[in-house]
Amino acid sequence: MARSRLETVGSVFSRTRDLIRAGVLNEKPLWFDIYNAFPPLREPVFRRPRLRYGKAKAAIQDILYPEDRIRAKFYSAYGSGQKAFDLFNPNFKSTCQQFVEKYIELQKLGETDEEKLFVETGKALLAAGVILRRVGEARTQKEGSHVSWESEPTGVKPQTVLEKNQPLQEVPQDQHLETSEEQPKGLSPP
Amino acid sequence: MVPAATVPRLLGAGVWPRPLRPRPLQSATPGRARPGGRTLAGAATPAVSGPEDSADISDKILSEPLKHSDFFNVKELFSVRSLFDARVHLGHKAGCRHRFMEPYIFGSRLGQDIIDLEQTAAHLQLALNFTAHVAYRKGIILFVSRNRQFSHLIETTARNCGEYAHTRYFKGGLLTNAPLLLGPMVCLPDLIIFLHTLNNVFEPHVAVRDAAKMHIPTVGIVDTNCNPCLITYPIPGNDDSPPSIHLFCRLFQTTINRAKQKRRQMEALYRLQGPEGLGAGVQGSAASPSLGA
Repeated sequence: MARSRLETVGSVFSRTRDLIRAGVLNEKPLWFDIYNAFPPLREPVFRRPRLRYGKAKAAIQDILYPEDRIRAKFYSAYGSGQKAFDLFNPNFKSTCQQFVEKYIELQKLGETDEEKLFVETGKALLAAGVILRRVGEARTQKEGSHVSWESEPTGVKPQTVLEKNQPLQEVPQDQHLETSEEQPKGLSPP
Repeated sequence: MVPAATVPRLLGAGVWPRPLRPRPLQSATPGRARPGGRTLAGAATPAVSGPEDSADISDKILSEPLKHSDFFNVKELFSVRSLFDARVHLGHKAGCRHRFMEPYIFGSRLGQDIIDLEQTAAHLQLALNFTAHVAYRKGIILFVSRNRQFSHLIETTARNCGEYAHTRYFKGGLLTNAPLLLGPMVCLPDLIIFLHTLNNVFEPHVAVRDAAKMHIPTVGIVDTNCNPCLITYPIPGNDDSPPSIHLFCRLFQTTINRAKQKRRQMEALYRLQGPEGLGAGVQGSAASPSLGA
């Protein structure tokens, strides 16, 4: 079968069609009629990839949502969520997502002040049982608990602390979690 | 079968009913008196089938599917939702982006490119339709990929649809110097399907350029770091996630099997009806182009 091996000149179809018209190629290839009937959206012509120079940039937009602002505030205040993301579950809702949904609910009710809304949502989530720990306070708590962890009884298991569903206040809850988390870490070093 | 691109089965080329000269598409109104001195329609018996009849029948079989926009009903095999669930829309990071993939990208979410699934659906429909037609006409299809994670899956896919796969090191002149490397009487593939357009060093696979040189049409899944220029029917989509590649392999397998089954059905239909029943056969088969796979 006659072929022209010039992949940079035209598309496969244009070269085959011209060879047939010139009489060089005697039998039509199998795919010719199919391509004629159903051509692709863009003719597969070779193009040389050139770099962009100067300030020219691609015309691709960032994908941003209005909820991203709420998410940014959540992460700057509370750090990454305490609950690990379970990606196996398609309907999984992380702590951040619950926060965002509550925030939007409260916003629809009529509140306008952002600070107030933020605080209200935090309270609503704590009432629902979701633990939220502020980033700034966690650091000071860690320094304070280092001094006292040796005197804590080693029989306290972390699970018993977390299973308590009482609506505790934020500060003592943090202390319990801090100590229970420090103990497994503390047992390993010599 | 695994290391070589083509197989001894293909050495007997020329057995298939391919048209020997370029024929214009026949009109859709048969039943007129044909030149050739045979008896008129109605009086001809199915048992009498000379070479002209078989040529006519084979032409009818080949030209019939081209008249419908979706003869094999490939649209029902996927939807934008199923593509999304298979994570086909996830691209690479913005730094890896190829310049020519920009029209196919929807946007960039926190630095990761997201492929526009509406365009992907349109491209996928064209590509599957083309594959089905090639398989219907008994063309040789070659699956090529150089991603080791999915090489076994691609080989089993090819085996299940009765076509060929080449997921190993692609030697230099395999397509361009085939008579030397593979033997004297060797048929090249009629369609090459790329499940991964890049090789292991993130450069375009040699077969893309060689297929363009040898006038072989290609269907390929192009990710955001690939060059879609030389691929005849590109499918912008994710080629790194397992669910995505599993979905594409399943789609290709179903399309090819469906097309081959349709071909067997059409041949049986026309053989039974004979030359005088070609008119009724066309209307009958046009009414039900889709079939349960």
